[in-house]
Amino acid sequence: MDVFNYLLNGFLNALTPQYLLLAAVGVTIGTAVGVLPGIGPALTVALLLPLTYNFDPTGALIMFAGIYYGGMYGGSTTSILLNTPGESASVATTFEGFAMAKSGRAGAALATAAIGSFVAGTLSTILLTFIAPLLARVALLFQPADYFALTVLAFVSVTALVGSSVVRGMISLFIGLFFGLIGIDILSGQVRLTFGVVELLDGIDVVVVAVGLFAVGEALYVASQLRHQKEEILAVRSSVWMNREEWRRSWPAWLRGAFIGFPLGALPAGGAEIPTFLSYTVEKHLSRHKDEWGKGAIEGVAGPEAANNAAFSGVLVPLLTLGLPTSATAAILLAAFQIYNLQPGPLLFQKSPDLVWTLIASLYIGNVMLLILNLPLIRIWVKILTIPRPLLYSGILVFGTLGVYSMANSFIDVLLMYGIGVIGFFMRRFRIPVGPAILGLILLPLAEAQFRRALAISQGDISVFVTRPLSLSLLLTALIALLIPYLPVLFNLLTGKSSRTGRLVFGRGEED
Amino acid sequence: MNAQTRSLLALRLAALALMGLGGIILIQTPQIRESAGFSVVGPRVFPIIVGIGCLIFGLLFFLRVTAIPDHVLIADVTGEEQITDWSTTLSLLGILIVYAAVLWPLGYVIATTLFFPLSSRILGSYQLRRDLLIGFLIGLIVYLTFTRLLGVRLPAGILSGLL
Repeated sequence: MDVFNYLLNGFLNALTPQYLLLAAVGVTIGTAVGVLPGIGPALTVALLLPLTYNFDPTGALIMFAGIYYGGMYGGSTTSILLNTPGESASVATTFEGFAMAKSGRAGAALATAAIGSFVAGTLSTILLTFIAPLLARVALLFQPADYFALTVLAFVSVTALVGSSVVRGMISLFIGLFFGLIGIDILSGQVRLTFGVVELLDGIDVVVVAVGLFAVGEALYVASQLRHQKEEILAVRSSVWMNREEWRRSWPAWLRGAFIGFPLGALPAGGAEIPTFLSYTVEKHLSRHKDEWGKGAIEGVAGPEAANNAAFSGVLVPLLTLGLPTSATAAILLAAFQIYNLQPGPLLFQKSPDLVWTLIASLYIGNVMLLILNLPLIRIWVKILTIPRPLLYSGILVFGTLGVYSMANSFIDVLLMYGIGVIGFFMRRFRIPVGPAILGLILLPLAEAQFRRALAISQGDISVFVTRPLSLSLLLTALIALLIPYLPVLFNLLTGKSSRTGRLVFGRGEED
Repeated sequence: MNAQTRSLLALRLAALALMGLGGIILIQTPQIRESAGFSVVGPRVFPIIVGIGCLIFGLLFFLRVTAIPDHVLIADVTGEEQITDWSTTLSLLGILIVYAAVLWPLGYVIATTLFFPLSSRILGSYQLRRDLLIGFLIGLIVYLTFTRLLGVRLPAGILSGLL
C-alpha cells in the first residue's frame, strides 16, 4: 500500500464520531490553554495523562495532538491583545501583533494569525505525510550507538540554542537527568538514588515534575511579582478579517513561515520557538514597508504564526519516526505513547499503521476545526482573557494538585510536586529555562538504555560511538550546535576584531 | 543588605546547591549494587556522569556569579529582588501544603471550597463570596465527574455520607 491508501484509511478512521469528538475536544482545550497565560500545552497534556489511562491510545493521542497545535493557534490571541505571549512559540508575535492591536487593527492581526496558521498547518501536515514514512524507513538502519548519539544531539541542541546561557540550559538538563535517575534501574533492577524513601522506588512520575515546574513554579513566581503587574486587554473593535492589501502582504509570509517552521521543527532544536524568531527576522529583512515595523507590520504576525504551526508538524517527524522528542511538549507526548506501551520509532509505522495514519489524518481535520474556532468564534476566546488573574492561578493550582493527587491519592506525591515547584520558582528567578529539565527526565531512560546496549554489542569498546559514520556525524552536529551561539565571538577572535556582539540567542526557552 | 548583595548571595547559594547535589549523587552512587549477571555497563555509570555534570555546571555557574560575573543576569535578578513580595509567595506555598494535607480528612469538595477563595485572596482577589462559590462549584463538579464518570477515586472526607 502506498501513502495515499494509508492516508485514506486514516481519514476513514479519523472521521468516525468518536475520534471527531476527541479531536474537537483537544483543539478546544488547546485553544483555551493557548489563550490563557501561565498554562500551556505541555502542562495540559501532563495533567490529562492520568485521566486517559483507560482511553483507547489512538483517541487519546488525537486529543493530545489537538491540544498541542490548538495551543499554537490560541497563543497568538494573547500575544496580540495582551502583549503577553500565551505560550513561548508566540513571543515573536507580540512585537508586531500588539502594535497592530494598539492602532486598532486587532481584527486583521487575529485574522492573519488564524488563516496563516491554517495554511501553514495544512502545508506542513502534507510534508509530514510524505516525509515521515521515508524517514521511518531510513531510521530502521539506526543502531543503539546512533540512537544514543541522537539523544545527545537533542540534549545539546535544545539546551544550547534555546535560552540565553548554555550553562543555565545545562543546569536545567542535569536537574532533569537527576530526576530521571531516581528509582529502580530498568536494565539491572537495582535501586538508585531513592535515599531510602519507598515512594521513590517507582521513580518520579513525569506528571509530578511537569506540574511542579510549570504550574506551581509559575504560580509562585507570579505571586512573588504580584504587586508590580499591570495589564490591559485591547478590545477587538474591527471585524476579524483582512482587506485586499493585507491579504497580499500576508500570503508570502505564510508560505515562508511554513517552510522555515517545518524543517526547523523537525530538527532537534527545541520545537517552535526558534523558527518563529527566525521567521520574524526574515520578514523584517525582506519587507518593503520597513517604516511600519514596530508600529504594526502585518508580515511580522503572519510569518511567525505560520512558522509555529508548521513547526508542530515538524516536531512530529522525529517523534513518530525516531521516538525523539525535540521540545518539552513533545517529550510529554512521548511519555503518553509509553503509557500505552507504544514505542514511537521506525517500527511504529509497521506495527501500528492504523494509529499513525489516523493521527496524521486527524491533523488535517483538526486544522479545519481550528480555523472555525479561531475566526468566527474568536470573540468567545477574548472573553477568557478577562478571567481575573488571582482566580486563574488559583484554578491552575487546584487542577495541578488534582492531576497529581488523583494518580494515587498520595500526600507524598503532592508534597514532592510542591517541592519541585519551589525548584521551578527559583529556576524562573535565576533565568534557568525549565524545558531542558523535562526533556532530560523523559529522554534519560532512552539515552541510558541505548548507551548500555551499544557498549554491550561492542563488548565495552567505547570507540563504537565514533567509528560508525552515522553516530559520529550526529555527535559532530551536537558539537556544532554547542558552538553556534558563540560564532560571532569566535569570528571576532579569529579576525582580531573586538566587538561587543555577544552570543547569538535563538529564543527564551520558556515553553510551558 | 541591599538588593544586589541579596541576589548575589541567592545566586551563589543556588550554584553551591547544584554542586552539593552533584556531590550527593557521587557519594550515593557506590551504594547502588552492581547487577548480579554479566553486564558491560552497570547501573552506576550514568549516575556518575550526572553527578560530575552537576559539579561542573554548578562550578561554571558559580564562576559566572563571582569571578567572571554575568552582569545581565545579576542585574535581572537584582531588579526582581527589589520588587519581590515574599509574604505573598510564602503564604501561597503554605496554603498549598495545608490544602494537600486536608484533602484526605476533609474530603476533596470541602478542601477545594476552602482553598480556592483563600488562594485567590492571597493573590489579590477581594470578592470572597464569589470566590467561595466558584471554589465550591469546582470542587463539586470535579468530584462528581471524577468519581462517577471517569472512575477515579477522590476522598469524600466528612461528606462521605452525603456524596
